[in-house]
Amino acid sequence: MEIDVSTIILAIVFFFLFFSSPSGDGVTSQYEFNQLQTLKDQWQSEYDEFQNITIGTNFRNITGWKLSYQDVESNPEINATYPIENKDYTHWSNTQDYTVLPKDILKRISSKIWVDGKNVFPPNITSTLHGAISLTSNDKYEHLPMPVANFYEPPDDFSQSRPKPGERYLEDWPHYGQTHNVTFKHGEVVVQISHADAVSSRFDGRNQEFFNTQSDKWRMLHMQIDFTDSSEKEKHTMSSKAVYDVEKGRIVAMSQSAKFHSLFGYPHYMSLLEDDDKSYDQVKRLMNEYWNASNYVDTLSMRQLQEEYDVANYKCEFMAFLQLEPWDKFTRDQIKVIDQELMWPTGRLTNLSQLPPVNLASGLLYSPDCGLSLEFNNVKGPRYELQVRQIRKHLLVGIALFAGQIYLLLSQMHHTNTPSAVNKMSFWCFYMMNLVDGSLALIYLVASSALMELYLPLIMSAFACLILAMIFETRYLVSIYASQVNERNVGILTLIRGNRNTEEITVPTTIPDEAAISSSIYGRFFFTLMASTFLILSALTWPRNVRTMFEYTCVILLNSYWLPQIIRNAIKGGEPRRQRNRHTETNQTNQANPTPQAQTSMPLLWRFVLGTSFIRITPVLYVFTYSSNVFRHHTDVRFVVILFLWVLFQIAVLYSQDILGARWFLPKSTIPEGYSYHKGMVSQDLLEHGCTEDYTVECAICMNNLPVYVDDIPETHNVDTATYMVTPCDHVFHTRCLESWMNYKLQCPVCRAPLPPL
Amino acid sequence: MCSETPPGLWNFPISKTLMIATIAIPLVASVADLKYWFLVEYQPFIKEYKQYYRLVIFQLGAINESDAALLALLWYKFRHLERLFGSRKYLSIICLCWVYTTVLLVAANVAINIIPFVEWNRFPTGALPIVLALFHFYKEYTPQLYEFDMVLTRPFGSHSKQLKWKFNNQFVLNAFITLLLINQGLPGIGCGFLSWLTGVLVDKGLFPGLASFRVPLHSRFMLPGFPRRNNDQNVSLRASNNENSMGGSDETEATDNGDEPARPLGVQFLDTFRR
Repeated sequence: MEIDVSTIILAIVFFFLFFSSPSGDGVTSQYEFNQLQTLKDQWQSEYDEFQNITIGTNFRNITGWKLSYQDVESNPEINATYPIENKDYTHWSNTQDYTVLPKDILKRISSKIWVDGKNVFPPNITSTLHGAISLTSNDKYEHLPMPVANFYEPPDDFSQSRPKPGERYLEDWPHYGQTHNVTFKHGEVVVQISHADAVSSRFDGRNQEFFNTQSDKWRMLHMQIDFTDSSEKEKHTMSSKAVYDVEKGRIVAMSQSAKFHSLFGYPHYMSLLEDDDKSYDQVKRLMNEYWNASNYVDTLSMRQLQEEYDVANYKCEFMAFLQLEPWDKFTRDQIKVIDQELMWPTGRLTNLSQLPPVNLASGLLYSPDCGLSLEFNNVKGPRYELQVRQIRKHLLVGIALFAGQIYLLLSQMHHTNTPSAVNKMSFWCFYMMNLVDGSLALIYLVASSALMELYLPLIMSAFACLILAMIFETRYLVSIYASQVNERNVGILTLIRGNRNTEEITVPTTIPDEAAISSSIYGRFFFTLMASTFLILSALTWPRNVRTMFEYTCVILLNSYWLPQIIRNAIKGGEPRRQRNRHTETNQTNQANPTPQAQTSMPLLWRFVLGTSFIRITPVLYVFTYSSNVFRHHTDVRFVVILFLWVLFQIAVLYSQDILGARWFLPKSTIPEGYSYHKGMVSQDLLEHGCTEDYTVECAICMNNLPVYVDDIPETHNVDTATYMVTPCDHVFHTRCLESWMNYKLQCPVCRAPLPPL
Repeated sequence: MCSETPPGLWNFPISKTLMIATIAIPLVASVADLKYWFLVEYQPFIKEYKQYYRLVIFQLGAINESDAALLALLWYKFRHLERLFGSRKYLSIICLCWVYTTVLLVAANVAINIIPFVEWNRFPTGALPIVLALFHFYKEYTPQLYEFDMVLTRPFGSHSKQLKWKFNNQFVLNAFITLLLINQGLPGIGCGFLSWLTGVLVDKGLFPGLASFRVPLHSRFMLPGFPRRNNDQNVSLRASNNENSMGGSDETEATDNGDEPARPLGVQFLDTFRR
């Protein structure tokens, strides 16, 4: 494409449209402005009201908190429009008359979930916990009506500038199916905890400031709870702020959406078991600090509005009540040192390998609007920093493996440094390895932008991987492709026959050089790489059984890399080892006429075969047998054994080809003779090509005369056919001359016709 | 007489190894998140935690990237010393300086920390002590090749006097050393001075070993193209001779068959993209 001014302008306009998005609050129309303004007014008025609430008074007009469980139980048809008749707004107690929790949930929290008594809990619990979740009931409890205000809805037409007033209930809308119910009995849960004690007061999220003045007692967390059934068909997510009571190890997390403004509920629900108002006041102070530091109302954006609306529509609201297991083997000071060491390692005297995991002793998940109750079992995970350390170690091992692979590939490349030798290699064998390495490099790159703590090792892995895939392997692929360019458009049968009848083959007269080949191979490589990476990344989100099948097939397929080489060996043929050794011996005795080394040895170095197999099976071994691998992949020893045997089988076949000859498994009839360069000539042919009277020809390379064995002239029969070579195009050269030429190009030096490799 | 050292690191195995290690060790350490191994502070690491290994290894890796870069440049500048002494003696001097500077610094540290109300906590990082000790050898044994004056007429307004600076061919090295010292603050300057003193003492023979100590197992890890010397005379002459002969023999080796010279792997790579 020619690049002129108009192209550039078009590109600039295109990129401008592509990258320009509303900044700041994301408002793009009058309607949205009014929507956001309504939301801000709502939050501000609720916050003002929140200031007047104490431990002894009830919520009034705060979204999501208007009804108590008792209200719904006594009148299931009740409407959540403030004010509600006969509702007691001036008192509060931790019973179902006032809270949104039914009494047996309250009882469970006080008796089973939250334990009393002072203990030592880690103040910093950033971690990812894994465990099981089981459904206690999904039909026992009443559904608390939670309306969504109408102003959240998108406009009906373009002329509309004011959002509709009023609110509506989910029941008025079509049924959403599973999203508002949990149907499985037992499932898996992942809890991601991070600390949110620093917030930004700006839209762009920069300049985060620490706001928590009571961080020794209370911590603000960000918590994401994902739970699914074991086949991953039904997924539920809850993502919200949470409050952590450091002294008692209790955590309350409540989802937030357009129908549930949980922020104002934390003081009441955090002090469910407290009699005095101390903890209530402290949590309220935390909320106020958070509100002011985050500039909550002013940083509300359209994105947040839409998100809250989506969550309100598609998900149940959840309240999680969790109890941490204490770290009673440590004192507070020890934990402080451990925290410092994890945060900023300098080699302090701490035994980090003995650090217990962050463990949820018990936990309960209750959904007020869907009436669901679930229980956590055995949910635990290592501290995030420890997890990062472990991943870093494993990444370093990975880098070492890549380095080993680069070394092996280099020695393999040194081993086959002539076109004749490279010709025996299989393009597809290395293509498969290249594809795996390239995809790995891209995945590492993607991961390095996601995991900032591991940026350096990840980017190093990506770098090592890219060097291996893009420079060394691709370079080798280019030379393999270049040496096999003659064989394109040629059927396998013809190839097995060894290129004997060159007249049949239509070979392009101009054979592309390496630069042209390399650009085409790079193009192909990038395209396949992108496609396979997207496939892999999208496969991660597939349901479990489909994903597993895909994974197993891919692993088996991509570990069949020696198969193309076995086929290639069979196509090219190759003598058994004993015969090759005999050749070498005769060559040693006959120094004048050495056969090039490539002809006497296997094209693949055994070091390379075994090393590569080891390097490529190690990650699979790690993922499938090491139970605490970083991907949390399930263990499947049987599959690994099958895969191992499969690779072993391929290596065994390669070895048998080395020992018994490359075509031992093919029936004799399918094995025709290959092209032989050392043969006698017919005098007629020789005369056509111009020869002297004593049947010598001038070698076009060294310009010296060489005697030729002519079949129909008995006087020439004392000439050794091994001293010269006859090409399929009937040109004659000294053996040494042509062999050294063939190290560079497989073309006839005289007429450029392709030459069958040695 | 050949006055210019050939550019590059051909025939400078020790300088080459040291430069690579100066960059590679911090790089590997930061990838593995182990940079703190090279951090030495009297309190708490030595006194409280008794982590004496830090004293042994702290000169191997620089914590700060700018220090690593400066040290690598300095090792490049010091290749003259390798040429002058020969690789084995150069390595021996480096080892001696490593040991003596470490011992001297630790002893000084302990002695100063005994004095009440005085505390010397931080040690420098990286090979600063060794480099400062070698700096003495460099100044002592490499000749100054040229010098030039820099004249600034009235640099500070029309009434100021003329300013004249004298530079010689070593001013880049001096600048690097100064930067290295300043970069690490007070510990850098103090330890730098002590290390330079160590260099002087080693050279004068007060710290023994310069004449007698040579690194054992020497030839095992040396490169084949390693320049050897039989005596201490005719240093530069021999080095340059040796080098010429090495280069010559290499060429003849490459063209033994009368054939097109075999393409090394690097050339093959480049050929893929340029042909």
